[in-house]
This record gives sequence, C-alpha cells and structure tokens, in this order.
Amino acid sequence: MNLQVILNGIFLGAIYVNVALGFSLAWGVMSVINVAHGTMIVIGAFVTFILFRTFAMDPFLSIPVSMAVLSIIGYFVQKYLVNLVVKMGLFLSLVLTFGLDLLLVNIVLLIFTGDYRSVTPSYSGTFFPLGKITLPYVRVAILLICILLTLSLQIFLTRTRTGNAIRATAQNREAAEIVGVNVAKIYAITLGISAALAGACGSLISMIQSFTPFEGGFFIMKAFIICVLGGLGNVWGVILGGLLLGVVETGGATVLGTGFQEGIGAIIMIIVLIFMPKGLVGLKSK
Amino acid sequence: MFEKNRTLIVIGTVIGIGFVILPFFMEGYWIRVITSIFMYGIITAALNIIAGYAGYAAFGNVVFFGMGAYTTALLMLRLGLVWWTGVLVGGIVGATYAVLLGSAILRLKGPYFAIATLGINRATEQIVINWGSFTGGGKGITLPLPQMEVKDFYGLIYYVMLGLLALTVLANLLVIKSRLGYALRAIRDNEDAAETSGIFAPRSKIMAWCLSAFFTSLAGGIFAYWFSFIEPATVFDISISVKAFVMMMLGGVGTVIGPVFGAFLIELISETIWGKFLTLHMLILGMIMVGVVILIPRGMVEIFKKKLTLAALWNRIKNQSV
Repeated sequence: MNLQVILNGIFLGAIYVNVALGFSLAWGVMSVINVAHGTMIVIGAFVTFILFRTFAMDPFLSIPVSMAVLSIIGYFVQKYLVNLVVKMGLFLSLVLTFGLDLLLVNIVLLIFTGDYRSVTPSYSGTFFPLGKITLPYVRVAILLICILLTLSLQIFLTRTRTGNAIRATAQNREAAEIVGVNVAKIYAITLGISAALAGACGSLISMIQSFTPFEGGFFIMKAFIICVLGGLGNVWGVILGGLLLGVVETGGATVLGTGFQEGIGAIIMIIVLIFMPKGLVGLKSK
Repeated sequence: MFEKNRTLIVIGTVIGIGFVILPFFMEGYWIRVITSIFMYGIITAALNIIAGYAGYAAFGNVVFFGMGAYTTALLMLRLGLVWWTGVLVGGIVGATYAVLLGSAILRLKGPYFAIATLGINRATEQIVINWGSFTGGGKGITLPLPQMEVKDFYGLIYYVMLGLLALTVLANLLVIKSRLGYALRAIRDNEDAAETSGIFAPRSKIMAWCLSAFFTSLAGGIFAYWFSFIEPATVFDISISVKAFVMMMLGGVGTVIGPVFGAFLIELISETIWGKFLTLHMLILGMIMVGVVILIPRGMVEIFKKKLTLAALWNRIKNQSV
C-alpha cells in the first residue's frame, strides 16, 4: 500500500471524525442515539449548496451559517421533543429520532427534490503536487478545519463553564442536578452543539462529493462504526476511530475493489463488537 | 393453560373467521391492502418476542425479512423449487442466522445491540449487492411467475399471510405462558438478577431471537413470492423494522395482541389515507412516529388513561425534568 492511499485514507478519516464528533457527544452525554444526525449533516450540505447557488458564497465561508442553522434545529428538537422521552428508555428515543430523520429527509426532499447536487468552487479539482503524491487543496483545507473543530470542541468542553456542566451531566446526571446544573437546558445545548458540528461537516462534505437528501443513512452508519471503534465519552476516541475507518476503507477499497468499501466498515464494527465488546480503547458502556 | 384467556380466544376466533370469509366480499384492491396489513402484523408480532418480552432493541430485524425473501427467490430461481419449500427453507435459514449471530451479539446491551443489528443488516445487504452473479446484485431479482389466475394467486397469498399471522400470535401466546416467557421478562426487567435466580440468559435470548427471526423470514419469503420482484433496497429497508417498532409501541410493548392491533391501525391508515399522497407518504409516517412517541409513549391504552390536550403537553414541556 503506497503513501498516496494512506494519505487519501487520512483525508477521508478527517471527514469521518467530523461526521462522528457531534453524534458521539450526544450519545456520550445523554445516551441518546440520534439517528437524525446523518440527515442533519445533509441539511448542512444543502445550506452550503443554496448559499453557493444564490449568492455564489464561498463554501468555506458558509460553514458558520450552516452551523448556526443546525444548532437552532438541534436546540429546539432537544428542548421540545427528545427531552420529553430521554428518561424513558432506548426504544422511545430511537423511534423518535428515526421519525425525526424521516421528517427531515422528506422536508429537504420537498424543497430541493431528489436530484444529485454538488458544490464546485473554482478551486475544486486543483491540487498541489509533492513528489509522487498529490495534495488536493480542498482536502487539505478540510483536514485543517476538522482539526480546528475538534480542538475547539475539546477546549470548549474542558475550559468553559458550560462545557464543564456538559461533562458533569455526562458523568452523573443526578449529581450534576444537585450542584445546580439545569440538566434540561444542558441537554438542549448539547444537541445544539452536536447539530452544529453536523452542519459544519455537511458544508465540508458538499465540496468533495455530490449528495441527495437520502445520504443521511450512509453517514449515520459511519458514525455508529466510529463510536464502536473509538468508544464514547472523549474526543480522542472519535479521532482514533475516524482515522482508522478512513484508512481501512480506502485501503480495503484499493485491495478488494470499491464495491466493498461500504461493507468493510460494518463488518469491522461487528467483529469489534463481538470480540472486543469494550471497543478498541475500552468502551464506556452506559 | 388457556382457561384464563377464554374470552380472548373466542374473540380471536371470531375475528379470524371474519378474515377467512372476508375475501369473498372484497375487491382485489382491499385484498392487497389487508394482505399487507397481515404482513406487518407478522413482522411486528415477531419483533415483539425479542424486543417486547426480552427488551432487546433489534432495530435491524428486517435483515431476516431480507434473508427469507432472498432465500426463497434464489431457491425458486436457481433450483426450481416450489414456492412454499423456498419459504420454509428461508425461515430455517433466517432462524439459523439468528442463532449464529445471537450467540455473538446478544451479549451486547442496550444501544450497542441495536447498533450491531443495524450493522448486520447493512453488511448483509452489501454482501447481497456485491455478490451480483448469484443474487442479482443491486438491481434486484425477478422470481418465476405463478402459474395460476391472478385472482386465485392473490387469494392464496392472503390466506397464507393470515395463517402465518395466526401462527405468530399463537407463538407469542405460547412464549408468554411458558418458562421461556417468564425468563425473557425477567431478563428485560433486570438481567443480572435473572441470571442470579438461575435463568441461563444467553439461551433464552437466543431462543427468543431465533423464533422472532423464523417468523420474520417466513414473512419475507411470502413477500418475495407475492411481489415476484425483490431488490436489496426494498427487503433490507430499515424503515420496515422501524415501522414495526412504532406499531408495537402503539399497540403495547410486550403484550400478545397489542402489537398486531398497532400494525392493523397504522398500516390501514397508511394504505388507505396517506398512502394516496405519494410525495408526502414518508413525511406523514415521520410525523406519526414523532407523535406516538411524544403523546402516547406507553401505547394506545394511554389514550384512555390521561388527558391528551395541548395544555397537558405544554405542561410536560415546561416542567420537563430529564
């Protein structure tokens, strides 16, 4: 396997880290498996698409906009829907987010139709040759932004008051409540942040692949796999899981053919679950 | 063991006889609608065994539906078997698949089990898509057409589905009355405590999933013969499982007849009312799912127990403590 394949794997992995970051946050803090996360990513992509189409706005500049739009959606979804059933067990929150996913997909479908869309700024497709390998500008920029987002999340969670409240709630809901944390509000903020990360991810993805309203299922599967590989509760596990999946998928596709790229991840996840139920780095089961 | 349920049995028999004579008074359209209702009844009642009694969120249960459908299709097409042999073998293949997988992943708890089943569904679908030379790949596979009048054929499928639904409900009843049923419910309430009191949890869970998979696979096989064309995107469609979960929750999780009732209600409304709006169909399903979870999370019985007003809902939102 040559350097270019590994590098492509890392570029893909950076995207995957971003796909799973928000999802893992929601799962780790609230034990909510937000199945609609994939479609939230797709909405982020469509926000970038519409800004690019109507105002010719640079896709990188539209990232804050899609983050803002999605954080509002996430905040209100948690406040008015998920919070009502979050305590009542897995079935309810899973069916609720599945239902939300269907709703969101079909709203996007009504607005944008099912056509394939893509965002192609003038610099897409250009690359920087470095010896035998090539570095596409867009991919490098995406890698940098993914690093930036991951670091910002980590700093937010460890250095700010709200971030500490989120981590406290994740560790022990009752104890956090006793020391004065408004858990309902923290949950709403958590899903807001989670959705904002999905929005950023969608903006980035819109630049490297074409997309339809139905792409969410693909992303949510990646998020599942990464969370299983890397474990929950910290940013580093997501980074490990995401990069690993990116490299393994790219390598596997090179060796076995691209048709198997999708299946490889799912099979790895099942093997990890069977033989290492605690995940690669010690899964915190809740 | 059935004494306590005598009234239920009587009502069930009357309804059953009703459905047996119904096709003589109906047009083809309604036979198709009711057959589809029966199919969802089977899937939901089968799901109830693993999810309702044992409490394991098998969101990827549709994988058995797909396995049954593909086994039936391939046996009929490649080996020229009669349809019902294909369906039966499909059921056995599905049940075996559940035993093999179950011994590995039924150790997982809560969300991890749910995600593992979703992953298995995705992986199986990908294998079917990529093994195109044998399975027909992503563009699907056409079954041999039935050698009979269309009207007779739809009647046959109607009665087969009805019979299988009756069998699935009976299996539910037998499970809930047996040692297995008590074991499963003990596992649902507290698995550690159940094991301490002498229940061998892995065996109970595997048996439950095996039964659930068997009936789901049979439904898949009949579906394949009925539609005579299947593709991975249809028979491994995760929304089939999710729909079954909503039906089960609406009717009452872990009850014998509730899930079937939920399936009847949702599928009837779906086929007759919002099925007409092609573009809005899935949107409305999404709204129903959200509505059921938010308004009546404990099922239909709640409608009679508490006030379902906007003010009551607003109170829940305002005074939420999570």
